[in-house]
Amino acid sequence: MATAAIVLFVIAGLGGTYRLLAGPSLADRIIALDVLLISFMCALAVNAADTGNTNNLIMLVVLAIIGFTATVAAARFLQYEHTQPGQATSPKDISS
Amino acid sequence: MTVFADILILFGGLIALLSAIGLLRFSTPYARFHAAGKASPIALMVVALGASLKLGAAGAALLAIAATAMILTLPVGVHLLFRAVHRTTESSHLVVDELAPAEAAAEPPTV
Repeated sequence: MATAAIVLFVIAGLGGTYRLLAGPSLADRIIALDVLLISFMCALAVNAADTGNTNNLIMLVVLAIIGFTATVAAARFLQYEHTQPGQATSPKDISS
Repeated sequence: MTVFADILILFGGLIALLSAIGLLRFSTPYARFHAAGKASPIALMVVALGASLKLGAAGAALLAIAATAMILTLPVGVHLLFRAVHRTTESSHLVVDELAPAEAAAEPPTV
């Protein structure tokens, strides 16, 4: 059972890896990293349930917080990527 | 109880697979983000439920913290990505766009 579930997560991670390498925009790569992270977290939970070892479960909490911080930082970076220094930052200027 | 936990874990694997398929197959960035950002935390939550049925109280506490943190934070991050994509790219393919007039009427962002 655990092997079948981990195979499913590996296939999902391979799909995320393809989108990470071939994504047309930077935002696609960021969201592919999120899918990869969640596949890894699910596999970690399945491994803990299979072996009965709860030592690695604290990694899930740390990975959840780090993943959120990385997504927010990358989104903020992406938002002002096209803005020149000194330029006005109204939404109309950013969208053009 | 163990059979129920196995079924939950396999169901979570299927949801993760569906979100990866949606990330691969959809054509616009908004549809891809929707598939990846909404289905993935649900997959983690279902898997955490199945794993905590097997592990008992000590594992269930950590799994509940991790699943709750993920299901609260990941849609927020994906929503920020939506807004960044909307601000930096042309979105003429949208049928309904309520963000563009709202941002045109708002003050310039300070953050």
